[in-house]
Amino acid sequence: MSALLEVQSLTAGYGRIDVLHDISISVGTHGNVGLFGPNGHGKTTLLRTISGLLKTKSGTITFDGKPIANASPRSIVDMGLIHVPQGNRLFPDLTIAECLTLGAYTKRARADEAANREKVVKIFPKLAERWRQKVRTLSGGERQMVSIGTALMGSPKLLILDEPTLGLAPKIKEELCASVLDISKGGVPLIVVEQDVEFLLELSQHLYLINHGEVATEIKPGETMDHAEIMALYFGQ
Amino acid sequence: MDATAQILFGGLFQGSLYAMMAVGLALIWTTIGVFNFTHGVMMMLGAYIAWTLSEIGLPFALVLPLVIVVMAAVGWALQASVVRPLIGRPNIVLVVVITTLAAASLIENATLEIWGPRSKQLPPLIAGNTTILGVGVSLHQIAIIVIAPVVLAALWFFLNRTRLGLALRAVAQNEDASLLVGLNVKALYGLAFAISAALAALAGIFMGGYRFMSPVMGADPLLKALIVVVFGGLSSVSGPIFAAYLIGFFEAICSYYFGLYWTPALLFAVLIVTLMIRPEGIFGSKSRGLA
Ligand SMILES: Nc1ncnc2c1ncn2[C@@H]1O[C@H](COP(=O)(O)OP(=O)(O)OP(=O)(O)O)[C@@H](O)[C@H]1O
Ligand SMILES: [Mg+2]
Repeated sequence: MSALLEVQSLTAGYGRIDVLHDISISVGTHGNVGLFGPNGHGKTTLLRTISGLLKTKSGTITFDGKPIANASPRSIVDMGLIHVPQGNRLFPDLTIAECLTLGAYTKRARADEAANREKVVKIFPKLAERWRQKVRTLSGGERQMVSIGTALMGSPKLLILDEPTLGLAPKIKEELCASVLDISKGGVPLIVVEQDVEFLLELSQHLYLINHGEVATEIKPGETMDHAEIMALYFGQ
Repeated sequence: MDATAQILFGGLFQGSLYAMMAVGLALIWTTIGVFNFTHGVMMMLGAYIAWTLSEIGLPFALVLPLVIVVMAAVGWALQASVVRPLIGRPNIVLVVVITTLAAASLIENATLEIWGPRSKQLPPLIAGNTTILGVGVSLHQIAIIVIAPVVLAALWFFLNRTRLGLALRAVAQNEDASLLVGLNVKALYGLAFAISAALAALAGIFMGGYRFMSPVMGADPLLKALIVVVFGGLSSVSGPIFAAYLIGFFEAICSYYFGLYWTPALLFAVLIVTLMIRPEGIFGSKSRGLA
């Protein structure tokens, strides 16, 4: 099986400062991909470069067989690579219903708008109760649901979730984790960055430890690794 | 009776013009977060192009849509040349003040060069006068009082009830999130400028129909539009609309009772007091975004 997303020797960063150094990952060959690593070592930067928000300095990114390095975010979204960014503020003054409509803005997604909306309601029934509520008045958990729901409206072929449970209370977090698992079981492959090791291991089969903008360790299915070892990798660097 | 009617017409008429101008300025601020100081010359240019088109014999019913389309294109081009290259810079608000002021002065002088200094006048939308409630008003003014709210309502409908309008409101609130749902952010910025310039041009045609035109005719309306958006709050397009009519009536009352001479001073006094009490404007909220 060929990789859905292939990042090869990618170097990128902000202005003159490189954050990612010659990084390579491969997604879609061994199930969901989990990225982990210390704060500030480039996970978000990697995801933002993949979805076209940041320019690539060198290296290639291939999605669904086509090169996407330095393509516009719009064309990347239109291909079905959809990114839910970290700490998403979303659109504070839009209602939930409006956000979901925007999620289906691309031509490709517009065709499935009604069906996708039903799917989102099934996964996040809470949202349907507050269709006309503005995002700014939602709780953190609800806002994350809208963010993910908006992404699902775009008919993702690959869904990127950057710390979806960041800052959520344990109970809400559990609910959200269950929903994300549902989405994955529904057939959408994922790239997830997650601080909660428990959840990360439950969700992803293929792990990358990102350290200093490089892949420090890759763990494929079969090369099982228990919680303690991951924690050691995580904090031991 | 006479006083009330005079104030009523004066207020509605000025308010309509101010609202047409202010709404375009607010649209650009809310979507892109910059002040567009070419807004006054867009108004002027609209009036001059309309003048040329009607000089060469085109009927006014054709001139009006033509000018709107041409000026929308001018607005788009302006955005592409003096605003878009600066997007993403941390000091963009200040830099765009400078680039748009420079562009405005350039356009103003080019107008003087092309059309000459002789003042011109456009035909009224509807010729003739009438007497309503005991005061004489021109049909041109009545037409403006009726057309402006229709145009403003259409803009509101576009922003709040269409998919493209929804996209425009979205870029105003979060550019990254807009990119990540696949919006064409650059095109939407261009669209905001195009709509804004078209509205200014329409206001210019309205104004050219009852006053002499000159290359600096947009300066005062721009200043008034700035006052209106600051007074009404910058967070929406409905705030400036209400504020425009409020200021229109305020001016009508002032000039009736205290004379034209005192009106600007009184207006600024009210503005300063308002900003001291409510810095975000009377209808504003503290965030940027269209509503
Ligand atoms: N907009 C920016 N401009 C300049 N440098 C930035 C910017 N955003 C992030 N950085 C820098 O890039 C580096 C990597 O940050 P990044 O957000 O990718 O880390 P991360 O692994 O996602 O961390 P976290 O786990 O805290 O989310 C950091 O040193 C950070 O300071
Ligand atoms: Mg991060």
